Amino acid sequence: MSDVLNLTLKIWRQANSEDRGGFQTYQLSGISTHMSFLEMLDVLNEQLIANGEEPVHFDHDCREGICGTCSLMINGQAHGPDRETTTCQLHMRRFNDGDTIVIEPWRARAFPVIRDLVVDRSAFDRIVSAGGYVSVNTGNAPDANSLPVPQQDQEKAMDAAACIGCGACVAACKNASAMLFVSAKVSQFAVLPQGKPERDRRVLRMVAQMDEENFGSCTNTYECEAACPAAISVSNIARLNREYLRASLTSDA
Amino acid sequence: MNSLVRALTSSVGKKFVMGITGLLLCGFLVIHLAGNLLLYVGAEQYNHYAHSMHSQEWLVNIAEVGLLALFAAHLFLAIRLTTENRAARQQRYELKKSKKDDPTTDLHADSWMFISGAVVLAFLLVHLADFRFELRDLDDVAYKTTTASGEIIDKEPFDKAVALLKNPISRWVYLIGSVLLAFHLSHGFASAFQSLGMSHPKYNGLIRVAGIVFAFVVGIGFASFVVWAYYLE
Repeated sequence: MSDVLNLTLKIWRQANSEDRGGFQTYQLSGISTHMSFLEMLDVLNEQLIANGEEPVHFDHDCREGICGTCSLMINGQAHGPDRETTTCQLHMRRFNDGDTIVIEPWRARAFPVIRDLVVDRSAFDRIVSAGGYVSVNTGNAPDANSLPVPQQDQEKAMDAAACIGCGACVAACKNASAMLFVSAKVSQFAVLPQGKPERDRRVLRMVAQMDEENFGSCTNTYECEAACPAAISVSNIARLNREYLRASLTSDA
Repeated sequence: MNSLVRALTSSVGKKFVMGITGLLLCGFLVIHLAGNLLLYVGAEQYNHYAHSMHSQEWLVNIAEVGLLALFAAHLFLAIRLTTENRAARQQRYELKKSKKDDPTTDLHADSWMFISGAVVLAFLLVHLADFRFELRDLDDVAYKTTTASGEIIDKEPFDKAVALLKNPISRWVYLIGSVLLAFHLSHGFASAFQSLGMSHPKYNGLIRVAGIVFAFVVGIGFASFVVWAYYLE
């Protein structure tokens, strides 16, 4: 097997949020299979700059799969073909010589394209601002067992807290629903004692903000779970539904 | 009151109502299928069941209003949610592929709920025209019969059912409707539990399998009456 690839890239180019945008095709040769996907795009951009063309804009930051900045719909799959992997952790060895790779931005009304492959995900920030926090200062780490938390609950909270807020759930959902994201942000507090005092207000406000941002509703197709690089489970969505119902029926808010 | 309205108009609340009306309609399907199965027991038993049910006039009225409300809510929300969900994508992908690796989802019933629901609605309208409103008095579908003394009277429920099930239009509409109903239920039943917040690793597998089994039983159950009537002398 050769470890050098020649590729055809079909990339969405859009000058700004008002521009209609469209696909452009690029030929790229001599790509090492050891490169990451973003390094491959770096090579393309160097080539474009050398030719005096505008480089392809894409979001990236840590490039080690923990910040949630990178995105990209790669051949119709959020973060590409690998499970539990962000685009920055995807490697070119997953592709074959001669492949055509279609690269699109996340597409959602709530995530408007800023430029090329970069979308505005501040809708997520506004949802978190609406209630995805604990108001009291919890101080330093408490003495062990001064606040008893069952190990299973702690695991559930940590699993939900693994969400990096990349938006792949919205991108993969046929309804562009943000339910998996919101459910993770609600669940990470809802199962812990520190999150209990504000749990009603939190879920009501976050769902209201989610609806205001024009995300779609959940149809329980679970594409979000499959696309999630942090393996957030859809059981969190059921918890969000429960929390919302409970808060609606019993809270003072 | 305000909080209730707010809850029911939120995305989560709308899905909740969708789930609860869907499950209640599943309950109706069970009762309807059980009653219909008396066709296999015998004409006398089926007629007795039909007559005793319809003699409770006020009960039938309450049931009809209740069912109409369930259907209306389910239908209204289906249109509302589908419109909103389509708008939420705004621009379609050039290429879109699933990342799920569950072979049972190959049929993608979850992506066809609006279409399968619409076909079931069409089937339901024909079915109501046939049985409830008796609008299909074609030559081969008679609601009346002539007695030996020359008097024209209503057909017995069993004879009416057989006559309608033998009608070529109704036959195909009912057959296709039953299959699409099963398809709709194969996702809808289990999905309703998730929308109602009922999810637990101990029961999720059971709910999913129960949904598939329920879909098969209901689909085959209702479709079987058409096949049975076709071969009935």
